[in-house]
Parts: sequence; structure tokens; C-alpha cells
Amino acid sequence: MSFPSFSRRSFLIGTGVVAVPVVLAGCGFTQQSSPEGRQGTLTFTTWGTDAELAGFRSAIAAFEAANEGSTIELNAVPYEQMFTNIDAQLQAGNPPDVFRVPYYTFGAYAGREQLLDLGPLLSAEREEQFTPQAWAAVQSAGSTYGLPHHTDTSAILINRDLFAAAGITEIPETIEDAWTWEELAEIGDRLKAGLPSGTSPWAYNWQGNGVTRWLSLLFQSDGAFLDTDQVTPLIDSDAGREAVEFAASFFSQGYVPANNTIASASYASESWFSQSVAMVWSGAFQIPDAESTASFDWTATCAPRNVRGGGDFGGNALVATAQTQQPELAAAFLEFVTDADPMRDFCRGASLLPTRADLLNDDLEFDVRSELAPIFAAQAGVVQPQDVAQVASPSMSAIIPVLKEQLDLAFAGSQDAATTVANLQSGIAAATGA
Amino acid sequence: MSARPGVRRTAHRGLLVRTGVVALVGLLTISPLYWMVAVAFSTRSELLGGRELRLWPREVTLENVERVFASFPVAAWFGNSVAISLVVMILSVTTSLLAGYAFSQLRFPGSTALFFVALATLVLPVQVIMVALFRIVTDMGLYGTYWAVILPTAASAFGLFLARQFMTGIPRELIEAARLDGAGHLTTFLRIVLPLSKPLIAVLAFMSLLSSWNDFAWPLIALKENRLFTLPIGLLYLQGQSGSDYGATMAFALINIVPIAVVFLLFQRYFIAGFARSGIK
Amino acid sequence: MRSPTPRRPGRRREALAAYGFIAPNYALLLVFVLVPLVGALVVSLQRTDGFGAGEFAGLENYARLGSDTLFWRALGNTVLFTLIVTPVSMLFGLVAATLLNTALPARPLFRSLLILPMAVSGVATALIGVLVFDQNSGVLNKLLGTFGLPAITWQSDAGPAFLSIVLVTVWWRTGFNMLIYLAGLQGIGPDLHEAARLDGAGTLQRFRHVTVPLLGPTTFFLTVLNVIYSFQVFDIVFVLTGGGPAGATSVLVTYAYETGFVTRDQGYAAAIGMILFLFALVFAAAQWRASRTKDVAE
Repeated sequence: MSFPSFSRRSFLIGTGVVAVPVVLAGCGFTQQSSPEGRQGTLTFTTWGTDAELAGFRSAIAAFEAANEGSTIELNAVPYEQMFTNIDAQLQAGNPPDVFRVPYYTFGAYAGREQLLDLGPLLSAEREEQFTPQAWAAVQSAGSTYGLPHHTDTSAILINRDLFAAAGITEIPETIEDAWTWEELAEIGDRLKAGLPSGTSPWAYNWQGNGVTRWLSLLFQSDGAFLDTDQVTPLIDSDAGREAVEFAASFFSQGYVPANNTIASASYASESWFSQSVAMVWSGAFQIPDAESTASFDWTATCAPRNVRGGGDFGGNALVATAQTQQPELAAAFLEFVTDADPMRDFCRGASLLPTRADLLNDDLEFDVRSELAPIFAAQAGVVQPQDVAQVASPSMSAIIPVLKEQLDLAFAGSQDAATTVANLQSGIAAATGA
Repeated sequence: MSARPGVRRTAHRGLLVRTGVVALVGLLTISPLYWMVAVAFSTRSELLGGRELRLWPREVTLENVERVFASFPVAAWFGNSVAISLVVMILSVTTSLLAGYAFSQLRFPGSTALFFVALATLVLPVQVIMVALFRIVTDMGLYGTYWAVILPTAASAFGLFLARQFMTGIPRELIEAARLDGAGHLTTFLRIVLPLSKPLIAVLAFMSLLSSWNDFAWPLIALKENRLFTLPIGLLYLQGQSGSDYGATMAFALINIVPIAVVFLLFQRYFIAGFARSGIK
Repeated sequence: MRSPTPRRPGRRREALAAYGFIAPNYALLLVFVLVPLVGALVVSLQRTDGFGAGEFAGLENYARLGSDTLFWRALGNTVLFTLIVTPVSMLFGLVAATLLNTALPARPLFRSLLILPMAVSGVATALIGVLVFDQNSGVLNKLLGTFGLPAITWQSDAGPAFLSIVLVTVWWRTGFNMLIYLAGLQGIGPDLHEAARLDGAGTLQRFRHVTVPLLGPTTFFLTVLNVIYSFQVFDIVFVLTGGGPAGATSVLVTYAYETGFVTRDQGYAAAIGMILFLFALVFAAAQWRASRTKDVAE
């Protein structure tokens, strides 16, 4: 049996086929001249949707035009592993100058002295320009280590058709009329009775790192999980137990589909789009998608309240690394991007909420379904600074897995609220080193 | 000894059964891939709607593929993947052949211990050494070039394993004869052993190409910038912070799979012959 | 095959040549695998979050492993996963190879179909798995629905979630096993089968007493590779179930990854990695020693 042999022609063809893509390649065999340290150049690493990246690019173009000789190199990377990469780069000593970071991850870097202290570099009036809750999100050890670029908080998106099928037509339109927890449970029962089989009343958006959205329920009960020292756990309280019980009841009462757990691979929004649920907790960023994809009539309303209204302070800040060689330029860039016009344009296009006090009001506009903007603005308005400050704790990254594990156990019915809350207390204490 | 017609009937029935089983297994195997293709060409609303199972999309659309090409530098990433995979393949095949020959045909002190060390490196997942490896790659000044991916990926004992297995089957007499004729070790390797190892080379080439083409965990860390990324990293872009765009994801997966599948199907007879000849017995 | 002649003068030259031959491969292994491995070992003896120098903590991380239920669960899951996937995918591979080794219509087509999953990356495989196994809108549950069967809770129950990972992995790995077995089968001379048939042995008996023993070396080779791979499984679990529900499918590498990059307890993560390494190493070494005696089978 002879080994099948190549003909010369197929070899040449093969070489040709291979050569073309190699020529197309970015020629990465040699070092391109490195942008770091080059005078007037900043590297900016971020992830983002198309709309967000477009927003960043136009802000960068404006900054470069206004600052002769400066260049910002935008490096767009996938969200999934962004922070594994940032960690590795920080440890190896060549991180980007500027990067984007969620508020709940901010503390991990700020608390470990990896970020540039912006305190001495910012202009004096900068603090007043932001809302108090936004400012609280970027503080660490008494100084400012980033600027809040935008926020998002969860309100509720409602499938009007399914609601009508269950006979519900009154939907709160202002934050003052938002459902209380009892009213929400009633709506859940009415939906269960009136919806077609295989459909659930709602889905909650706590998948993956979204577990921080459960904290909204805690805050709505006026509870807290950390004290102002960002170390002492406070979750073992009536408010804590109440929040756990209410969330667990979503599963025991059948208000959510069985796989709407924290560890689920599918996001809550997917079950809303596929009409497996009548409503979903969601941030404003979902609006453009909903408008283009949802095949049903939909609207939005505020999240429920218990003792008070409350929400998670989602969204991202922009930070500079402590190792940057261009601290003044980095600070100038961060200030520019968080000025009124760039922020307004970014938020309008990406359907996100601004962090500036002069923008977060009734004049807020979105490119898509702008009439819903006031709902989200109002929702962001009930987020309290003391709620936000806890999320900025350096141990937040270590607290998140504790939340994920204990809450999933509570949702599965494997442990009651008191045990869950007690475990959370000790888990958080272990994470903060209390 | 049974009657002739009986034997033929049994044989015929046996053939039917075997074909039926293989066809069923083939169908089961191919259906997830079929699904990937169906989703890649389905519209967004089709993917979200409906509780009934549709075996093929109501409306075949290219919008997912278009979206992928519009949002990402697919051609550049494709070029990066090809460049990196080819160099890894060349490095890996060369080093494995050389080392495999030494372990199978030459005697030297410490060979058992050294082989054991190589085996040890096979069981180590990259996640365990990721950070330390990154520091080394940066210190060597490789970060930001293809070499940051090429060299660690080519550092594998799998090829050595395979090569040694195959080369043990080469008749000693051929080698002894060459040595008695006065050939040095390198000459013996090049003139006698290599020509006999064509099937092995085919297998090594394909396996290293395949693993490097699909690798994403390490390249994502080691390739600094967007413009140097390889195709598999693109899949991660579509797993956003907020949920997945399945149509685009499957379209992208298809773009990633098609080249390697084509290479695979075109050259599979070499690989099959190679595996058969590699003496993996 | 020990040579009875006295020490040859060419021995030293042979040894030097051998070192030269293995040098390129080992240089790569040394720099890019062994050195980082030592680095990880050092980190496992520290208390560190990765930033800045860690403080030496001796065997503290390893001691912590003893009482860490999450670790033991991850270990248990990994072992269970290996124990199921390895024999199942190897058996399927063997059966498929045996069938493909007989006369069949369109044999090359079937062969191509069965090995095609190999060409798909782990992440893409897992993503297709998400499409198929999603308990609300996945293909599998829809299919069950059309036959009037109840939907299976692939994500929210531990058993089905584990099963989904096993099924996806078997789908992915069987092709490779089949390929290697096919090669092994083609190495078994047809005269042995003929002799057995003449002796009156039926198909199954021939399979058990001729085929399987002669495939011994192949089986050992595949067992080592499959076990190594199963211990290292990451992509499929990470993407398909994320280790859920409530850690029911968490495996050693996903646990180490989360500890190192999410909780940022890099010292502890390195310790987990070392334990994983040790387990897999011990097993692979044992298998290798056992297979060396079978190596010389014809």
C-alpha cells in the first residue's frame, strides 16, 4: 500500500491558498513599535456593544481634535476574559493606560493600589458634577480612583400582550406608583392563573455576575451587606432574611421559570424575548434590542419597592492604571469623556444612564423609545449613595461568589432564609478578612 | 458448514443491520452540526419565537454572516490564525520527530526519567500556569507578537508521544545497516527514518494544526491587540455582558470550522493511512 | 533486547546525539511549561492576590483544601466525569471502528461524518450544546415535546446538568477514539480472524477473544489520553453549565480558574492546580508502567 503522493500542482495550489491569508495577516511576527510610553499616546482597553464602541470612538476623535498631538489607541476586547487579561497585564507590568471597569470590580483594583489616584489630578469642581451615588462608586480609601462613565439599573420590561391575556392592564407609570412587594406577588398570582401554560410571570436578571442585582431587593428592604468600613458584614438582619425569602419565593411560588437561577447559562432576557415570561428585570441597554426584536407590544415600569425604592448601581467607570506613564494625559482624557456633551451622546446612542447630575433628569433622551427614559432615570434616582459605597469594596470580587453560592442554594430550596443569611454573613466576613 | 443460500441471507441481513446502525450513529453525530448551520442562517426573530420544533428555518438569511463580517476584521483574524497555526505545525512536527526518534531508537542515560517528565507536562492544563507563563513571555519581549502564542503552543509532548510510538515500529536492522555503512545519527535520521515516517508526519501535522487552530484561552491573553487576534477569540466577543446573539455566534463558529473541516476532509486519507501506519497498536 | 557485547565506544556519541535530538523539544518544554510550573508551585506556597509580592505561607493553602467542601465536590465531579466519559466514549469509538472496518456502502462518507466533531473547538461545541440543551427553548426539549414527553430540566437539576456535559463530551471525543481504534483494527491480520472463524467462533466470540486482546495496547494508549483530557476539562463545563446548578458540575479546572481570577486568591488556586497535576500524573504514570509490558505485543 503506497502512501498517497502529492502532485506538484496540488502542492503549488496549496501554497497559494496558504500564502494569501498570511499576507492578509497583521504581520505579527515582529514587534510593532510599542505605543506605551510614547509621548502623547494612551492605550485604552475596553469591551462594548457596537453602539458603545461607536460612542467611545467619537469621544476619542473629539479629544484628539481638541488636544493636538495626542493619540488614544482603542483596543476592543471580549468581555468574558477581559479582566483575566488585565490582571495578567498588571502583574507583568504592561497594562493599558486606561480601561473600563464595572463598579463591582472597581474595588478589586483600587483596593490593591493598581489604579491611578485621580484626586490630585482632577479639577476642583469635578465632584459636584456627578450624582452622589455615582461619585461614591469610584471612591477607595478616601480618594478618587476613577470617573463614573455611565450607570444602569434594572427596571421591569413588560410584554403587554401577555399581560392583556392575563387580564392585567394597569401598569405603574411613575416611581411613586411602583408596585410594593405584596402587589408584585399579587400580579404574579394573577399572571400564573391567566398566562398560557409553559409561561411564567417573570424572570430576574441575576445570572452570572448579575447576582449583584439581588442586592436591589436587599436595599428595597433598607438592608445592607457591608458597613461603612467596607469590612464588617451587616447582612444577618431582618432585612437580609426578608430579601432572601422574597427572592426564594419566586421559585417556590412558580413566579419564575425553574432555570432562572444564578448559575444558568441562559440570560433572563432571552426568556422574555421568546415569550416564556411576561416580564423581565432589565437595564436600559436592552431597549434598542427589544425594539428591533420583540414581536410583541411592550413597555417598561419601575422596579418594586418594599420599605423604600432601591436598586443596584450597575454600569462602568473609566480608570487609569497606577503604572501609566502619562498620568496627566490620562486624567485629562477621563475628564473629557465624562463632560456633559460626550456623556450625553454616548448614553443616548448606547441606551445607558448618565452619571452627571445635570443629565440625569426628565430631559434624558434615548435614540430608541425615548419615552421610557424617565422610568429608568427615576429608577436610578432611588439608588442611595450608601448602597453604592458597599459595592465599591475591594473585596467585592470575593463576595460575589459567596452570594452566588448561597443564593442558589436558597433558591433551590435546600436551605432556609435564616441559614442562608447566616452563611452569607460568615462568607462575607471571610472575604473581607473581618 | 451451513448451506450456501443461508449464509448469504445472513450476511445480507448483517450488512443491512450494520449499515442501519452506522447510518443512525452518523445522523446523531451530524445533527448538532446541522443545527449550528441552521441557526447561523436563521433570522433573530425566528430564533426567539416558537415552542414548536422547526427542522429548518422558515426564512434563510445571510444577515448573521453579514453582521459578523461587518463587526469584526474576519479576514485579518483568519490570516493571523493561518500564520500562527502553520508555524506551530512546522515547529511541532520538527521537534517531535527529532525527539521521538531519540526515544525510540537511541540509548542514553536518563531516558526514562526524561520521558516521564515529558508525560508530566501533558497532564498540566494551561489554566494552572497561565499567569507564570505570561510573565515569562513578557520578560522575553514576546508579548504583542505571534511568538507569544507560537512558542508555548509548540511546547507540547503530545507529538513526542506519538512519534515515539510510531518509530518503535521501524525495523532495527535498517538502522543498524546504515550505521554499519558509516552513517552518522543525523544522516540515518534524515535518509532512512524520515522517508519511512511520512504517515506519522501527516498525523503530527494535522493534530498540531487542529489544536492550534481551535485554541483560544492562551491566545487571548498572549496576543495583546485586537488586530492580532485569532478566529476562536471572536466567539468570545459575541458572548457579551448582556446575553448572546446566537445567530451571529453560530455564523462565526461556522466560519471558524469550515477551513479546518475542509482541510480535514480533503486530506483525510493521508491521516487515516497515517494513523494506521503509525503503529499505534 | 540487551546487547551481550561489551560497552561500545559509540555509546557516548549515541548519547550525545540523542541529547541533541531531544534538545529542541525539551528546550521549549523547559521554558514554556516546566519553568511556569515551578512558578505556580512557588505561588501555591504563598498567600497572594497576584499583585505585588505574596507572603510566604508554607503549606497553609494545602491544609485549607482538606476542609474545603467546594474543592472536594469539584474533585468528586472530575473523578465521576472521568469514570463515565472515558469508558463510554472509548466503547462507542470501538464499536464504531469495528463497524467501519467491515464492508459497508459509502464507508468513507460515514467515516468523515463520525470524525467531523473533532474539528470543532471546545467552545463552539459547548455553545452548540447550549442551543440543544436549554431547558426553555432548546432543541432537545422541543423534540421531546413533539413526542409528548415531558421536558427535562437540563439546567436546574444536578443530574441532568451533569448528563448534558457527559453527552456533549462523548459526542466530541468519540471520533478521535474511533480513529485510533480503526488504525489498531487494521493492524490485526485477517488470518487471525479466519482461523478463529474456522474454529467455529461466532462474531461476538471472535470480538471478545481475538479483537479486544490484540487491541490491548491501543486501549491503554487511549485510556491514558482520555483520562488526561477528562481531568483537564474546562471549556465545555465553563460555557455549558458554568459549574452549576449550585456547583453540581464544577470540576477542578473551573474551580481553580474561579479561585484565581474571580476571587483572586491566586495562592489557593495554584494549590488546587498542583493537586490536579499530582492526581493526573500519578494516574498517567501508573497507566504508562502497566502499558509498557503490553507495548511489545505484536
